[in-house]
Amino acid sequence: MKHLLNSAAVALLLTGVSAHANESVLTETAKPEQWAIQTGDYANTRYSELDQINRENVGDLRVAWTFSTGVLRGHEGGPLVVGNMMYVHTPFPNNIFALDLSDNGRIVWRHTPQQDPEVIAVMCCDTVYRGVAYADGMILSHQADTTLVALDAMTGEEKWSVQTGDPAIGETNTATVMPVGDKVLVGVSGGEYGVRGRITAYNLSDGSEAWKAYSTGPDDEMLVNPETTMHLGQPIGADSSLNSWEGDQWKIGGGTTWGWFSYDPDLNLVYYGTGNPSTWNPSQRPGDNRWSMTIMARDVDTGEAKWFYQKTPHDEWDYDGVNENILVDKEIDGQERKLLVNFDRNGFAYTLDRETGELLVAEKFDPAVNWATHVEMDPNSDQYGRPQVVAEYSTAQNGEDTNTEGVCPAALGSKDQQPAAYSPKTGLFYVPTNHVCMDYEPFRVSYTAGQPYVGATLSMYPAPDSHGGMGNFIAWDAVEGEIKWSLPEKFSVWSGALATAGDVVFYGTLEGFLKAVDAETGEELYSFKTPSGIIGNTMTYEHDGKQYIAVLSGVGGWAGIGLAAGLTNPNDGLGAVGGYAALSDYTELGGQLTVFELPG
Amino acid sequence: MKSITSLSALLLGVSLAGAALAQATGEAPPAEAGAGAAAAVSGAAEAPAATETETAEGEGMADEEEVEVAEGQTLMPSGHDIRAVEMVDGRWVNDEGIPTFNVEDDGTVDFATFNGFRRYHAECHVCHGPDGEGSTYAPALKNSVLRMDYYDFMQVVASGKQSSNSVMPAFGTNKNVWCYIDDIYTYLVAHGTETIPRGRPAQRADKPEEYTAIEDACMSS
Repeated sequence: MKHLLNSAAVALLLTGVSAHANESVLTETAKPEQWAIQTGDYANTRYSELDQINRENVGDLRVAWTFSTGVLRGHEGGPLVVGNMMYVHTPFPNNIFALDLSDNGRIVWRHTPQQDPEVIAVMCCDTVYRGVAYADGMILSHQADTTLVALDAMTGEEKWSVQTGDPAIGETNTATVMPVGDKVLVGVSGGEYGVRGRITAYNLSDGSEAWKAYSTGPDDEMLVNPETTMHLGQPIGADSSLNSWEGDQWKIGGGTTWGWFSYDPDLNLVYYGTGNPSTWNPSQRPGDNRWSMTIMARDVDTGEAKWFYQKTPHDEWDYDGVNENILVDKEIDGQERKLLVNFDRNGFAYTLDRETGELLVAEKFDPAVNWATHVEMDPNSDQYGRPQVVAEYSTAQNGEDTNTEGVCPAALGSKDQQPAAYSPKTGLFYVPTNHVCMDYEPFRVSYTAGQPYVGATLSMYPAPDSHGGMGNFIAWDAVEGEIKWSLPEKFSVWSGALATAGDVVFYGTLEGFLKAVDAETGEELYSFKTPSGIIGNTMTYEHDGKQYIAVLSGVGGWAGIGLAAGLTNPNDGLGAVGGYAALSDYTELGGQLTVFELPG
Repeated sequence: MKSITSLSALLLGVSLAGAALAQATGEAPPAEAGAGAAAAVSGAAEAPAATETETAEGEGMADEEEVEVAEGQTLMPSGHDIRAVEMVDGRWVNDEGIPTFNVEDDGTVDFATFNGFRRYHAECHVCHGPDGEGSTYAPALKNSVLRMDYYDFMQVVASGKQSSNSVMPAFGTNKNVWCYIDDIYTYLVAHGTETIPRGRPAQRADKPEEYTAIEDACMSS
């Protein structure tokens, strides 16, 4: 606890106020009966100590109550529970409902922001929203139009609001925010519009800007120190980003920040990932395109970067590096280490030392992954830390106007934003995955502000020579770097997982099933079909001494694009058209919260 | 610019009931775009009446009804004949000068239609789904283009459209779309009539020189 005290003391000295919000989130997330931020805890484990519902009785689960959100678009994220109140959010227009759990879910207040629908026109891939956060008696919501608003948690009264981006140039938001210390951190979406990624810290007290750190560009705008910001054990050096782009491409070069944040209070570091470089046509942006596709560790007080790790230098496949970083402490080679585990879109699961950024493990978490043979782990190699790209699947080497076939995973990744869970009881990670491959053809595009800036065409299909489904739900050992078990799914698993002390793991499916499986064996213990496909994240809470499981239904998002009409495999020839499952045969649009309980 | 109401209902096809409106606020597209496209935006060309049997009121996945095209039928509900009669500036057109596809007996697809497949899957599919088949929140364009007049199609792509929480962006200033809009149109018609199947066309004709000249002028304008 020494580090925590030190950093808290320093923060106090520097700002005068501070630390209270930090403590409020730490306090509220430490109560197992609550779910105060989207990630469950700062470490992003999505693990709950609640064990009333367990592997023996989960088969008896039943629906306790339901709630319609009134919006029929893709519902990502999940509800929060703080005290007697549940907070439910919707996709655009980002409505929020505060429900009184002690009064049959009576709507205590609702927030219905008026946003210009024009923002929808610049949202890639549906109007999803991964939810609100609680801190310091406030509900924090970052709307699609990049308005960040702080509401009184009890009354819904607006405390302050601030504009964090400009939708006119394609800047939007789909992510949740992370309250840390006396600040709240927000990202930005728009990698397909040439948006320049960054995270911004706002002061929780009044919404004023504290610091802003870009993913690309000059050192001072990235808040890096060329001598002390590290990459794989070496200082990044001066102009590390500018040197890795041709000309001014970095200004419209993406590296957006629409994923999750995690935070280590002892180290006072926040962790997040940056997205794809723009455009999708790699020939238009020679170089490593730093620091797109990068895990970043930054000091929360100053924003200064402690270390970076670029997972996919010079991306050629749209493998955004924004997935959640799960913080766990585990023994490796007889030594207790502070670890960070990341299941990247590119199909590799990385284990790093979160204090130093040292790369410890990088292994494929889907055997179908073929674009790279491995990640070079020899620190003496000039390829250290770099994926070893297979020429056949290199859309850059094959060049513009050439269709590169059979790349696994597809652009939506072996895993997208749908967060994994970690159980300290089993020591395993539970990962919702995609099992989809693609053909990818890059071509030249021109940039117009506020217009899509894509530059490649692609077609996707289930991984060949496999079970025919488009997803798996796997259990992963992050120390050994291997799959413990894998459950085939008909569709991509686009729902965040939940692990509990009851030795049960929960997740949803695109057909709409809420499933419970045994944390040790993966055996299915319970399944219930909700009204619409699930792309929301499962959560749990306790009220009046009783444990509940809750999840949002409402199909959509990236998953709703390719899967509504089903996928086809062009390599299978004409006869295969319609040969793969169409989501529209299984579910319809929806917008509903379903809450489960045990009888009695 | 007639039948704005029907076009809106058709293209957006999502929860529009009475609210159909087409915005005409988009800036003028690049002048070098295809002849038909320019005509559409200037409003110079008059198109045959579209049938208005489609209401598309449902809000659902891939909600737009398929258009049944009988064996040998060449006249679409849109009023357009899909038969190619000549190549103009590297693109096939029908008897009215409206862009259409040309597929050889051996399955070889004309270059413009092939390119429409590529451009569609870069610019359109993130909302309208693969192969124009629709998504959870945008209609199946492979069906829309058979009901909808070519000029109305152009109008909506150029200027966008909005209805409650569904928004079609205006692409009139986006060269990556507008320089290839005729290609995207013919690709969708070719697939909508099931002349070509889902997926990437297996064989394509070479790129005509006239096509390249117009493309270069449009993209560099």
